[in-house]
Amino acid sequence: MLASLRKYRWQYMMILPAFVLLFLFNYVPMTGIQVAFKDFHIGLTVWNSPWVGFENFAFLKDEQFWIVARNTIYIAALKFVFGFPAPILLALLINEVRNSVFKRFVQSVSYLPHFFSWIVIAYILQSLLTLDGGLVNQLITNLGGDPVFFLGSTEWFRPMIVVSGMWKEVGWNTILYLAAITTIDPQLYEAAKVEGAGKLSQIRHITIPGLMPTITIILILSMPSLIAVGMDQIYPLMNPANQPVADVLDTYILRSGLQQGYFGPATAVGLISSLISLILVVTTNKISNKMNGEGLW
Amino acid sequence: MKLSTGEKVSQIVIVVFLGLLCVSVIYPFMYMLAISLNVGSDAAKGGVYLWPREFTLYNYEVVLGNSVIQHAYIITILRTIIGTICGLFITLIAAFGLSYRALPLRNTLLGYILVTMLFSGGLIPFYIQLYNLNLINSFWVYIIPTAFSAWNMFVMMKFIQGIPDALIESAEIDGANPVRILYSIIIPLSKPMLAALGLFTAVMHWNDWFAGAFYVSDQTLIPVQTFLQQLLSAQDISVVLGSNNNQEAIARGSMLSNVTLMSIKMATVMVSALPILCVYPFLQKYFVKGVLIGSVKG
Repeated sequence: MLASLRKYRWQYMMILPAFVLLFLFNYVPMTGIQVAFKDFHIGLTVWNSPWVGFENFAFLKDEQFWIVARNTIYIAALKFVFGFPAPILLALLINEVRNSVFKRFVQSVSYLPHFFSWIVIAYILQSLLTLDGGLVNQLITNLGGDPVFFLGSTEWFRPMIVVSGMWKEVGWNTILYLAAITTIDPQLYEAAKVEGAGKLSQIRHITIPGLMPTITIILILSMPSLIAVGMDQIYPLMNPANQPVADVLDTYILRSGLQQGYFGPATAVGLISSLISLILVVTTNKISNKMNGEGLW
Repeated sequence: MKLSTGEKVSQIVIVVFLGLLCVSVIYPFMYMLAISLNVGSDAAKGGVYLWPREFTLYNYEVVLGNSVIQHAYIITILRTIIGTICGLFITLIAAFGLSYRALPLRNTLLGYILVTMLFSGGLIPFYIQLYNLNLINSFWVYIIPTAFSAWNMFVMMKFIQGIPDALIESAEIDGANPVRILYSIIIPLSKPMLAALGLFTAVMHWNDWFAGAFYVSDQTLIPVQTFLQQLLSAQDISVVLGSNNNQEAIARGSMLSNVTLMSIKMATVMVSALPILCVYPFLQKYFVKGVLIGSVKG
């Protein structure tokens, strides 16, 4: 053992900084989860603050929490239902384009929004949707309608989040699907044509089955971020007017923990959210192992 | 090859749909650019859709003259450069070390890395740890916690394992130690991968507003994106006009009355978005390459 440690000393030295960082910023915070069961204040440490049992989980009886939980599930479900198939469909469409210059142009342009922050996206939404002089409301009033306060509306909030989320990521998420499509054996299509299969049935019986492994992997990998819907996208767009539908677990944690200083309860909410993510990843992986015989591990 | 009528129709439908998608991506930026280049009070009357009606650079003069924005820009540039270099370096040496299949405890170590991708302590314990390490209100909070990326590590490791063993072995026979092998074999052969991951890391740093908003309260440490986030919900333009260095521009008070919150916002957001818009066309192929390198499943 010692001899091999010596033999690989350079390798271990190179790995060391990474593990120091993992220890400090991943594993130590995991031990910090105990704050969920403790009465923690700044000034105390994670370890010496007093245990309080499940007191911090009192939010489970709070109606506000259940509204937030429902909002989270609602938005996560909408984003998944619309956001997950969209890049697959877009990839199929892009793949059908005959003109290769146009094809490349569409790809380049559709990847672009991925590189802007959600803050920039929020500005785009604000400039297009605002009441005073926003483009969409100008069009509505020109057509004789009444302006709509999209940014402060409980009805329009979810569509706004889902559409802007799709707009930002749909192109970028086609990359892997488009690459996978190119690996499908062209002979399969030739054979299908000989048998008289039309375009749609070729897509259904060749392209989509060929994409299944990629779809599975992306599905599993999308699970951890499924429930974490809030931080980046929702927080910038949330305001008192749309908060009843906009408030999700992440924004709730930010507000109660970092802004109001209720560290214990906020950690408890965070723990629930992390556990849900973990369960989602593990179950999706298990299901995919059973169904396709392959998963991430 | 001849297309049937049905195929022609479907080609047209697809091209029109994808064309509209492209317009939906490009148009918002043109709209924001037009508003930012238009006299604010005039834009507020409506009707500016594609290009400015009353052209002015005054919005940009005000925005670029603001010392808070200037400072935020420097912070963004510094964190992007330092963060990308540190992030690539620490992740690369770890990936190289772990690429040795015979390394004792290798699978255990990889397991510890994988766990962090699946489960985390959550925001509050992470914040408490930043506090304990005195990273709150420090520039280094942008650099150190993100310096190792588990995801990038796995991508790099896969890439390095694709480099022929023979190259490494012959260098070992010549007596090269791993540091030398990394420097003279691995890094030169990994350039496309490093370029791609470096770009991703740089974009991540450029776009991050969260750390600046929650881990830092000192206004002299916030990056541009955090400034934008604060400006997003601002009710008046005092945020931008206060602490303005460009007193010459401010002095032309008659013009100032024409500046609106919206025109200032659009100018500020364009200032943060333009660098990405400018470099994007040249670097796009590296980005795509980066995603594809990462997708090789093992």
